[in-house]
Amino acid sequence: MKATTKKAFRDLWRSKAQVIAVAITIMLGVMIYIASAGAFQNLSASYQATYDRLNFADWTATGGDTDAIAQAALDAGATDAITRTQVDPPMLIEETKLVGRTIGVPTDAHPSINDVDVIDGDYLDDGATDQVLLEKHGAETFDLEPGDTIEIFAATGWVEVTIQGVVDSPEYLWLARSSQEIISDPNSFAVVFAPEESVQQWFGVEPNQTLVVVPNGADARVATDATQPWETDTGVAVSDAMTDAGASAVESQEDQPSNATLSEDLKGFDQLSVAFPALFLIAAGVTSWVLLTRRILQETPVIGTMMASGAKRGRVLRHYVFQGLLMGGVGAILGVALGIPANSAMTSAYTGFIGVPDTVVLNYPWMLVIGFVFGITVGMLGALGPAITASHIAPAQAMRPASNSSTPGAYSRWVARQTWIPVSGRMALRDIVRSKRRTFATMMGTVLALILVLTSVGMMTSILSAMNTQFEDIELEDATAVAQAGVGAEDALNDVDGVETVEPTVLGQVAIEGPDGSYKTTLTGYEPDTQMHCFFGPDGEGVSLPSDGILAGEFLAEEIGVEAGDTVTISTDAGETEVTLVGFLNEPLGTSAYATNATASALLPDEGTEAFALAFDEDADRDEVRQTITQLDGVVAYQDVRAIVAQLDQYLGLFWVFIGMMILLGTVLALAVMYVTMSVNVVERTNELATMRAAGVPLRKVAGAVATENLLATIIAIPFGLVLGVWAAAQFLASFSDDLFTLEPAWGVWTLPAAAAGVLLAALISQWPASRAIKKVDIARVVRERAA
Amino acid sequence: MTATTTDRGVHLTGLTKVFGEGDAAVHALKGIDLEIASGELVVVIGPSGSGKTTLCNIIGGIETATDGTVTVAGEDISKTKPSKLSDFRRDHVGFIFQFFNLIPTLTARENVEMIVEMTGRGDNTQVAAHLESVGLGDKLDSFPAQLSGGQQQRVAVARALATDPDILLADEPTGALDLPTGRQILELLQELNRQGKTIIIVTHNLSVGQIADRVITVVDGDIESIKTNETPAAAADVTW
Repeated sequence: MKATTKKAFRDLWRSKAQVIAVAITIMLGVMIYIASAGAFQNLSASYQATYDRLNFADWTATGGDTDAIAQAALDAGATDAITRTQVDPPMLIEETKLVGRTIGVPTDAHPSINDVDVIDGDYLDDGATDQVLLEKHGAETFDLEPGDTIEIFAATGWVEVTIQGVVDSPEYLWLARSSQEIISDPNSFAVVFAPEESVQQWFGVEPNQTLVVVPNGADARVATDATQPWETDTGVAVSDAMTDAGASAVESQEDQPSNATLSEDLKGFDQLSVAFPALFLIAAGVTSWVLLTRRILQETPVIGTMMASGAKRGRVLRHYVFQGLLMGGVGAILGVALGIPANSAMTSAYTGFIGVPDTVVLNYPWMLVIGFVFGITVGMLGALGPAITASHIAPAQAMRPASNSSTPGAYSRWVARQTWIPVSGRMALRDIVRSKRRTFATMMGTVLALILVLTSVGMMTSILSAMNTQFEDIELEDATAVAQAGVGAEDALNDVDGVETVEPTVLGQVAIEGPDGSYKTTLTGYEPDTQMHCFFGPDGEGVSLPSDGILAGEFLAEEIGVEAGDTVTISTDAGETEVTLVGFLNEPLGTSAYATNATASALLPDEGTEAFALAFDEDADRDEVRQTITQLDGVVAYQDVRAIVAQLDQYLGLFWVFIGMMILLGTVLALAVMYVTMSVNVVERTNELATMRAAGVPLRKVAGAVATENLLATIIAIPFGLVLGVWAAAQFLASFSDDLFTLEPAWGVWTLPAAAAGVLLAALISQWPASRAIKKVDIARVVRERAA
Repeated sequence: MTATTTDRGVHLTGLTKVFGEGDAAVHALKGIDLEIASGELVVVIGPSGSGKTTLCNIIGGIETATDGTVTVAGEDISKTKPSKLSDFRRDHVGFIFQFFNLIPTLTARENVEMIVEMTGRGDNTQVAAHLESVGLGDKLDSFPAQLSGGQQQRVAVARALATDPDILLADEPTGALDLPTGRQILELLQELNRQGKTIIIVTHNLSVGQIADRVITVVDGDIESIKTNETPAAAADVTW
C-alpha cells in the first residue's frame, strides 16, 4: 500500500470517533433518501399494481343515458366501457344507521372495470338477489364477516341482505365518500356491492354511471407528453365524447376521491425524500469540512514541506479529497446497505397501514447509485475546501511551527481589559473570535441541528394546531345527525341524554363555478346566529354568515379565479343558481362553502331529509349517544366529529411516525455534528491545553474554559438556528398546503425555547467526550509530536 | 519559461526582494550578488530579520525575487511562474527545516516514501538506503514519537535526499536540537557534502560557520561579509 494511502487510513483512524460521527451522518442521509424515495416509488407502484389488476376506470361519467355515453366512449377510442347503478341509501349495520353506498355489479362474472378483490368469503352467486359484497373498511369498522346480514333502506322499505364476501376495491383503498369528505366518521359510511338488477329494483332507478378504460400503450401517448392514459389525445376525446353524449359530470382517475387522497399523502413522501436527506448530507459535509480543516491546520508544516519538495498542488489536493472520499464512501455504503431494508420496511408499513392489497417492494438500482454518489460526493465536497486550502499552502509554511496565531483584534483587546472577569472566562470570550473557522463550524452545527429539529417539530405542532383550530375553535358541534323530513327528529334529538343543543343545519354537495374553473365542495347551512360553527376571515377576525350569498374557503380564490363580492354559479342536481361569494374564510381543513339555512336550502335540492348539528354535555357518553340517536325513528345518518379526528389521525399516522423518526434522527444529527465540532475544538488546542495542565491547572477548569467557549458559540448560533428553522418549517408547510390542508406555522409557547434548550443540552453532552479527551491528553506525547 | 545551463551551482545577480508596497514596503534583500559553486558547503549567518531565510527561500524556489536574476542548478528561475517552481524544487532542491515536519502517523520509512509518492521523483526501493545512509537503518519502522529529536531530523534529511537533489537547503537544522545531536546532524551534512552535494545552511548560530567552505554574513538585507575557511572544521569539533 502506498504511503499516502496508509497516511489517509491512519489519519482517519486517529480521529476515529469523529470520523464515525461523520460517517453516521452521511449514512443517515443516504439511508433516509433511499428509504423515503424508494418508498415513494414503491407506494406508487403498489397502487398502480392494484389499479392495473382490478382495472381501475380511467374515466367515470355520471348521469345521462349511460348506454349512449358508453357507446360514445367506445366510438371515441375507449378500450372498454360498462354501466352500473350507484345509490347512497340509509343502511342499518349492527344497529348503527348510516348513509352508505350501494354499487351494482354483475352476478355472472366480475365487473370488467373497477373489479373487486374478494379477501374473505366468495363473490356473488350467479343470479343472486339478496347477497352483497361488503367493502373492507365497513367490515373492519363493524366487525362483520361473510354470513352476517345488514339492512338497506330501499324504496319499499328496509331490505335485509347477506354478506357474501368482504372485498377490496380500487375505488375505496381510502374510504372517501366524495372529494370533500375524505376524512369522515368510519361509522357513518360503508360501501356494498350488490347485484346490479337488485340495485335497480330496490331503488327504482336506471344505471347512472359509466366506467371507461382508455388505451394505455406507449403509442397512445407518443403524440403528446401525457403520462397518464386519460391525458392522451384519445383520453381527452373519450371524455369530450361522454360529455357530449349527456354525462352531467366526468371524473378522471386522478380526481377520483380515494386516489386523489392517497396521491396527496404520497406527495408528502416525495417532498420529504429530498428535503430531509439534504439536511443530513449538508450537516455531514460541514462536519467533514470541520474535521479535515483541523487536520490540514495541524499538518500545515508537513504540507509546506511536501510543497517545498516539489509536490504538485493537484497531488496534495487529491490526498485530502481522498480522505473525504473514504469517509463519504463508508457512510454511503452503510447508508445503501441500511437503506434497502429501510425502504422495504417503510413501504410495507405504509401499504399495511393503508391496506393497499398489492405491495411492490423494489430497490431501484439508480436510486442506490444516486444515494451512494450523494454520500461520497458529500464527503468529497466537505473535503474539497480544506484540500484546496492545503494545496495552496506556501512552502515557506514548512519553516514555521504549526500555529494560527494572529494579531488580536479590537474585541480581543477589549476583553483583555475586562480584568474583573476571571482569566479563564476572558480566554473563552476571546477564543470565540480567535479561530473564526472553528466558531463558525460550531455555529453551523447548532444551526443545522435546529433546522432539522424545528422542521420536524414545526410540522407536527402546526398540524396539531390546525386540527385543534378546526375542531375546537371552528367546528363547535360534536356530531351531525340526518333524519327523514317530517318525523319530528329535532324534538327527539333534544330529548336524548347527553345532547345539550340541537340546531337545524343543511348539508349538500355543490360545484362552485368561477371564471377559471369549477370546484366541487360541501355547502353547509347554519342558523344565522349559529352556536355550532365559528367563521374566521383570512385576517383571523370573526365574520358572520351573510343573510344572502355564501362564504367559502380562501383556497377557492385562486382555484376558480374569484374575489370577495364576485358572483359565482352553484351547480347541484337541482340545477344552477348564481349567488354572491360574500367573503373568504381561513379554515385549516378542507375548502367548504357556508350559508344561512335559508340560503343553503334554496341552493340545494330537496332530498326529503333534515340535518341537525348537535352539541353534547361535557360528560356525555358518546357511544351511548350514538347508539340512542341511530335508533331514533327517521334518523338515517349520524357522524361524530371526534371519530373524524381519529380518522384524520389515521390518515396522518405514518406521517407522525416519519416525523417522530426525524426528530429522533435530528437529535442524533445534532449530537454528531456537535460532537465533531466540539471535539475538534479540543484536539486543535491540545498543545495549549496540555500546557495548562502541565502548569497544574485543574482539569475542571481547563474543561470549563473549553466548554464555555463551545457553549458561547452555540448560544450565539441559536437565534440564527431558530430563525432559519422556523423559515424552513414554513417552507415545508407551504409545500404541503392545498385545498385539503391550509397549514400555517404554529409554534407552541415552549417549542422554540425547548428546541434551543435541547440543542444547548446536546452541546453540553458533547462536552463530556471533550472533557475526557482533555483528561487523556498525554503531555509528554504532545510535546514529542509537537517537535515532529 | 526556465532557462538552463550546465552549471549546477547558484548564481545571484542584483537579487532584490521587497515585501509590501509604498510606505509599508520592507526591503528584505537589497541587490545581492553571490556565486555558490556546485559541491560547496556554505553557511549563511545573520541575526533575525536580516534576510537570510528569504535568501534561502529564493534560492530554493519557495519565493520569487522582486528583481535580479537567480540561476540555480543550471536553471534561471528569476521569472519562473510559481506554478512551475514546484517542478524546479522537485528536480533540484531538498529542504531540511528546524521543525522536522514529520507525519506522526507514518513510520520513518513511510515519511520518506511519502515524498517520493507526492513528488513522483525518486525511487521507493532506495528509501531504506537513504535512511541507512543517515544512520537509521534500524529505525525504519519507528514512528516519529519513538525517535529522538536528532533521529527525527535524520529522517528529515533522508526525506530531503529522497528526490536526489542537486542542492540541500537547511534552515536552522540544529535549532531544535541539543549540542551533541546538533553535531551529529552537522556531521551528516558534512558527509553529504563530501559526497558531492551542494549544501547551504542558514542559521543564526555563528559556530556552525566553522564547518563551511564559506561563511556569508547577511545583515539588513545585504551581504556584510564573505569569509572563506581554508580548512573547515570537522563538525565533531564544533561547539556552542
